[in-house]
Amino acid sequence: MRNTPLSLKAAALLAVLGLSLTACGGNSASTAESSEPAASAEAGAPVEGGTFTFAEVTPINNWQTQAARFYEKANVLNSVLDRLTYFDTESGKLVGWIASEFTANKAQTEFTFTIRDGVTFSDGTALDAEAVKKNLDALGLGVESAQIQPNVDFSAYKSSEVVGANQVKVTLKRPDANFLRSTSSVTAGLVSPGTLELDNAGQTAISQIVGSGPFVFESEKPDEEVVFTSRDDYAWAPETAANQGDAYLEKLVVKYLPEVAHRAGAAQSGQVDLVRGLQPVDEEVLSAGGGQIFAAQGVDLTTNHAAIRIGSGKLAETKVRQALQVGIDRQALKDTVLSDSYVLAGSILNHQAPGFVDLSAELGYDPEKSKALLEEAGWSVGADGIREKDGKKLEITVASSNNSVVIKPAFELIEQQWREIGVQLVNRAADNSFLTNAMVDDQIEFFGTRQFAYGGLGPVYAPATNNQTLNADKELNELFTREQAATTEEEHLELIGEEQRALVLDKALTLVLWDEVQVYGANKDAHIDFTSGTAPIFQGAWKSNG
Amino acid sequence: MGGYIAQRIGQALLVILLAYTAVFLAVQALPNDPVTIFLSADSSADPATIAQMKAYYGYDQPLIVQYFTQLGALLTGDLGYSLSSGSAVSTRIGEVIGSTLLLAGSAFALALVLAVALTAAASLSRRPRVRNALLNLPPLMISIPVFWLGLVLLQVLAVQLGVMSLFPDGSFLSLAVPILVLAIHLSAPIAQVLIKSVHEVNTQPFVDVLRAKGASEEWIFYRHTLKNAAPAALSIAGITIGTLLAGSVITETVFARAGLGQLVLQAVTVQDIPLVQGLVLLTAAAFTAVNLLVDLIHPKLDPRIITSHAGSPRALAA
Repeated sequence: MRNTPLSLKAAALLAVLGLSLTACGGNSASTAESSEPAASAEAGAPVEGGTFTFAEVTPINNWQTQAARFYEKANVLNSVLDRLTYFDTESGKLVGWIASEFTANKAQTEFTFTIRDGVTFSDGTALDAEAVKKNLDALGLGVESAQIQPNVDFSAYKSSEVVGANQVKVTLKRPDANFLRSTSSVTAGLVSPGTLELDNAGQTAISQIVGSGPFVFESEKPDEEVVFTSRDDYAWAPETAANQGDAYLEKLVVKYLPEVAHRAGAAQSGQVDLVRGLQPVDEEVLSAGGGQIFAAQGVDLTTNHAAIRIGSGKLAETKVRQALQVGIDRQALKDTVLSDSYVLAGSILNHQAPGFVDLSAELGYDPEKSKALLEEAGWSVGADGIREKDGKKLEITVASSNNSVVIKPAFELIEQQWREIGVQLVNRAADNSFLTNAMVDDQIEFFGTRQFAYGGLGPVYAPATNNQTLNADKELNELFTREQAATTEEEHLELIGEEQRALVLDKALTLVLWDEVQVYGANKDAHIDFTSGTAPIFQGAWKSNG
Repeated sequence: MGGYIAQRIGQALLVILLAYTAVFLAVQALPNDPVTIFLSADSSADPATIAQMKAYYGYDQPLIVQYFTQLGALLTGDLGYSLSSGSAVSTRIGEVIGSTLLLAGSAFALALVLAVALTAAASLSRRPRVRNALLNLPPLMISIPVFWLGLVLLQVLAVQLGVMSLFPDGSFLSLAVPILVLAIHLSAPIAQVLIKSVHEVNTQPFVDVLRAKGASEEWIFYRHTLKNAAPAALSIAGITIGTLLAGSVITETVFARAGLGQLVLQAVTVQDIPLVQGLVLLTAAAFTAVNLLVDLIHPKLDPRIITSHAGSPRALAA
């Protein structure tokens, strides 16, 4: 025991030393860099050549196209696989890519794609109408021999046929006004017919996936890095892309930075050119240090929300769910947990999504209204301040993955806010092992998430197995069916609006939080844009220092 | 001796079988089968596809059939298929195990060296202040979290000074730093036990006899004390394999290294149950194997382990 003071002193000394080292280091770096503002790099024409290093948050082993519903896959596959169409964020319109033209019949059951001439996969195979048909079949029907399930956005797919020399006609089982838009998704990326012949392990291995995109696989070190080379003869970028030729960059290196604390430093020090998954606190550090912050808006995604499952019975009544909706002080979320890169949700769709309706006026923080609604539903305050009904406490649980860097603190704040209205939130956000069970357990009241949604919300909320509500709502499903069968764009957008009102207000099956955004940190010399699905466009990227 | 070895090996095999059974039962206790859980992570999965995939991987079989099929496959080294990559679990493990073995093996070796060096320095030092300082190092070393030390070192060396990469790039520092971080944490309990054990051995009469015969302190320490103190430290070293594997998860994450730890993390994140199952089994087997090894080395260092069974006079002499 007599030794304790010394060991304490030593521990304290080391801790102080470590902290002060980090602190001075941070300061010195920021002063050194701030003399060279990021804006100075903006001017000038793109520089050719160079290797661009991009750090993703976690290694990926399944690169199969349909499975690319996760950022870490889509962000890379976006530069390896081309699609039939492209969603141009600026104009909010779908434009041609591998399909130079595309048309739909009035009933939204038949679609014709005219395939661009002269496109080849990197193995030399032609990307012609026949190859597109094979891809569409794989997407719509799955590949049974390789245990690949159909793409969820292609659930209406029936068949396709090659018509004429370079056209493919798709026939659907039922109308789907969202079909065209979903062909722009990375999950509808086109692969060489040879890739579709491989077994499951083959189709999921990045080394064996052959696309027609601007970058081609070169080498990989499992779980550490994947290297891609620019394809020199690439000449079929989306119609609206600034760069119509091959990538300016020579090589693209994808690495992994699972440790969130290193991400800002990695971009600032130039060890990577771009990194995804920056925490709000690091945004300031990085921009002060001369780095750049890019907030890529998730136009193709729902907002971040807590989807509601009513299995436990506590949230079975609409009034209770509506009480929770207005029991969230969203502005406080932005002020305390989020940053300027985040836009508060006005609906389940983000502000730039076609058909978005702004419901924010009805999402204002109103704890008094919450309390009144809860009282009306028969939940009265118990001795400990938590509401009760029939001997059950209003104690509800949220589960989520740790993919979003802000989701856990966000629910911590909501937990505090709800205590005011007598609701106890059990915060299991960002707990992946808990989520394993919670994902398919309708007793867990909330699933905090965001999902790709290419138009209507049917694919996300309709099936009985949908992982949002784990429940098929008859009225909602009728609405989804009507929306998918809309024959004019005007009618389609109107019905998408109705879906949002039903989900957010009338049924309150989702508590909407903030528009989906992926915050990237970049080195001062990096120049890059992002797709409507928040994926970096490496084909148009370049570095001031080559 | 032969009986002792056979008994230990039998016990080890039994432990692995029980571990397999426990993992198998734990998977059954999940609300759904591995295929459903894995596919549910990805928006709304089609029930027909789930059924088809379940049949393909054999999850539609009766439990008892699954238990023995998987056990039979296990005996041939087949750990099933990783749902997230479509390749065999053994292939996924094989891809990265080398990296972990290098990290963990080197860290373990360095930890032993550190522990012995620290013990020697502390035991042989003639200055009380130095001695006290050294004696206080192990508690300090164990209280520094692995991730914190790793983060600080990377922040200073990679971000501020720029002398090493944040990624494993094959350079000396990118391997040496994670090894050192892990070894420091690992050596602490070994050093603590070794120091205490050396201290106890030193109080025994034979040490006085050696001293009376004129042996130097160094001679006594290296030739007699250390050897007598080793068994206790060896047992602790065997147990630290758990710390080593847990430490690997953190070290590999902080240093962005490929490896088993990183793989565990991914498998849990994407809910790839067969992969988790395979990794848990591998961990159990590694744990058992190392402890078996310790049990087998033990009698070499201290023959009383075996003879004490018979209650021999030599055992009592201890």
